Amino acid sequence: MGTKSERFAGRRWLAIAAVVALAAAFVGCSAADEVPPLERLAQEVNEGVMCPVCPGESIDQSQNPLAVQMRGIVVEKLEQGWNKQQIFDFFSERYGLSVILEPPTEGGHLVAWLVPPLGLAAALITLYVVMRLMVRSRAVVAEGAVGAVELSAQERDRYVGRIEALLASDLAKDVKNARGRSPEGRGEETG
Amino acid sequence: MIVDAGALALSISFLVGLYAVAGSFVGVSRRIPALVLSARYGLYTVPVLLLLATGALVYAFVTHDFSVRYVFENSNLAMPFQYTWVAFYAGNAGSLLFIALVFSVLTAAAVLSLVGRLPFTAPYATALMAMVLTFFLGVIVFLANPLDRLAITPGNGEGINPLLIHFGMFIHPPMQMVGLISVAIPFSIAIGAVIAGRGGRDEWVDLGRTWAMVSWLLLTVGLILGSWWAYTILGWGGYWAWDPVENSALMPWLAMTALVHSIMVQKRRGMFRMWNIVIVVAAFTLAQMGMFINRGGPVPSVHSFAQSSMGWLFLFFMGFTVLGSLAVFAWRLNTLKSREKLDSMVSRESAFLTQNVLFLTVAAVTLWGTIYPVISRASQDVTITVGAPFFNRVNGPILLVIVLLMGIGPLLPWRRASPRRALWTLRFPLGGAALTAAALVVAGVRQPVAVLAVAVVVMGVTGIVHEWIRGTRSRRRKGESYPMAFGRLLAGNRPRYGGYIVHISIAMLAVGAIGSSFYGVQRDFSMLPGETKSLGGYSFTYRGAEEVAFPDRDELTARFEVRVGGRDLGVMEARRTFYRNFNISAIRAAIRSTPLEDFYIVASEFDAGGRAIFRVHINPLVWWMWAAGPLLALGTVFAISPRRQPAPADSRLPRSALPAGVRTRRVEGA
Repeated sequence: MGTKSERFAGRRWLAIAAVVALAAAFVGCSAADEVPPLERLAQEVNEGVMCPVCPGESIDQSQNPLAVQMRGIVVEKLEQGWNKQQIFDFFSERYGLSVILEPPTEGGHLVAWLVPPLGLAAALITLYVVMRLMVRSRAVVAEGAVGAVELSAQERDRYVGRIEALLASDLAKDVKNARGRSPEGRGEETG
Repeated sequence: MIVDAGALALSISFLVGLYAVAGSFVGVSRRIPALVLSARYGLYTVPVLLLLATGALVYAFVTHDFSVRYVFENSNLAMPFQYTWVAFYAGNAGSLLFIALVFSVLTAAAVLSLVGRLPFTAPYATALMAMVLTFFLGVIVFLANPLDRLAITPGNGEGINPLLIHFGMFIHPPMQMVGLISVAIPFSIAIGAVIAGRGGRDEWVDLGRTWAMVSWLLLTVGLILGSWWAYTILGWGGYWAWDPVENSALMPWLAMTALVHSIMVQKRRGMFRMWNIVIVVAAFTLAQMGMFINRGGPVPSVHSFAQSSMGWLFLFFMGFTVLGSLAVFAWRLNTLKSREKLDSMVSRESAFLTQNVLFLTVAAVTLWGTIYPVISRASQDVTITVGAPFFNRVNGPILLVIVLLMGIGPLLPWRRASPRRALWTLRFPLGGAALTAAALVVAGVRQPVAVLAVAVVVMGVTGIVHEWIRGTRSRRRKGESYPMAFGRLLAGNRPRYGGYIVHISIAMLAVGAIGSSFYGVQRDFSMLPGETKSLGGYSFTYRGAEEVAFPDRDELTARFEVRVGGRDLGVMEARRTFYRNFNISAIRAAIRSTPLEDFYIVASEFDAGGRAIFRVHINPLVWWMWAAGPLLALGTVFAISPRRQPAPADSRLPRSALPAGVRTRRVEGA
């Protein structure tokens, strides 16, 4: 099987080249170590605070003098040992809650954070249930759909028998796999 | 004189639009073909009339006719000549005219493509497109006429927002506006088909898909150009800020992405008829939301160029289209039921459905975050700002799952796949992902999320490359040369392989996003001329700044000599321009871009004593994002390029497989 080994070699080549290139790319980007931890922390805080006079821009992005001044305050406070939340509180007391670029994680605004994951969960559960229902109802439709091909009773029985045998073997595999994952299994499908 | 002729053409176009709406609807419901025809021909004249109006406006700009209010407000004598073109769509009224012009051209093209091919749908779709167009024309004529005159003629105009003076500005805003409005075309075709009932429900799919992809392409190119513009001109080293206006362009894009996938299921399997309608309505609603937010919406944004008080009118029209579509949908519900059902939980169909749900979830979450400030103001009387930290955290994981699905979905067969068979199909992608993850960990990458993200991207690309190699080799065995085999493989199933090309470019976008968000580094340096600093292997010497005064602006250009690993990269220039009339600074960063990383210098501040503050970024892999754009456009065009249709993948046996004398009969509808 010359073609097979040739094909395999080609693939291995490609995979190795791609992986080496990617690894090189990511290891090459190690400049992060050159930035002192305090500066990195300051950047993280800056990205979370909006410049009060330039809507939509964080004090990290903005070159407005006020933003520059606020960046200075962030560094100062971090040097004094404040944490991110304390600095957020400090700015929101002075400029209002709206200068913080994310909703507070406590109180009534927690709902802003909760809706996305709950919505995703609800969407996925609905998706699962609907797909399950669609797969089930297909079994019912399939019974009536045989008429699409006109066959004599004898031919029909032969085909249906073969199809059922194929389906049973396929389903048996599916069921076995499904059982492997969930303890309750899906026994009714085989019936 | 020319301006007056343009204004007249504009008014006539509105009347013609009204006639096209009424003529199409009345003609088709009373069965008067001549009226339908006449309405359609009327619609074809609108682009011509709008071209006249636009020509008049551009003429007014070029001749500095400040008696026209819009010209006075958006240009001045000092403006560079070529930017008069930008000025024409920089303000509210002009951008509306621009939208109307482009939409009228798209509409004419769409109607031309429908006629003959969609006999049931065409009259309704034409009426709906004409309705959207006429809404815009009405707004322009009555509320924001760019050709209105001032009572007196001022000597000079106010000028244009300097941030708009950039090459990207020639393409990004018009592209974005065109992208948003173009969603109206697949919407009109789909809803037209629903109104047409049984005749229309499946006939719209092919052309609907083509126009959906055209619209998708326009939206995508608009988004990428916008990011590119933000990256090069706004000078903060990033390209995406989750700004409300960016979000408002992203949301319809997400819905359209769902649509171009789910519509394939209807095309190939006759399923998801209702679902496609739901998605197309969602997409058009989000597109209108985008226009609303862009034009005086309730959320503060950096994109307040085209703001006006008419946003609420757009909101009203949006409500009207949503309710109207829902009413039509409910009325025609019985014709939209699909006979085909899902065969299995593991199949291409279910992968598409899952993809749809995830995309719509990202859109919904983005919408939630975008309007939460308004909700919080209304409900708790506190304005909360929802920005990048929120969106990155809530959308990041879902987007990663979507990229994962992009690696799995295309490899699953239609109808059903046993889990074991599916795993076997995925052996190479999974192997590639595992290998990559291992290599990254061995190489010292320690951020689990980054490793996971790269592995997921590699998985998607491996799957596609594997399919390409397999297909090419099997053709090669039939005696074709490699390039020819590859070419024919792609050409043989354009929707599929065009889609793969788009997937590859999405993977490139993901690589750029991952690289820059996990490994981007920035640092501020305070430097005197002659000083040398270094970051990430680059060393740069500040060679002083030069100030040049222009009539309308002062330009400060800082020069750097840059070296990396002993190699001289020459001089880089970071510029800061101050526009006196506007009290606005615009920044042009010095960027050296390579596929591996960008070295990016921004001039932040210049002190009187010669000291200056620079922000230096190293943004890994961003190059790939900009390279992805052209590839993505190529893939999309390839996917919709007309070619013979592949046979529908339905359940019927080939004739040869049946016993002699057995007659097959198509079951239509039932």
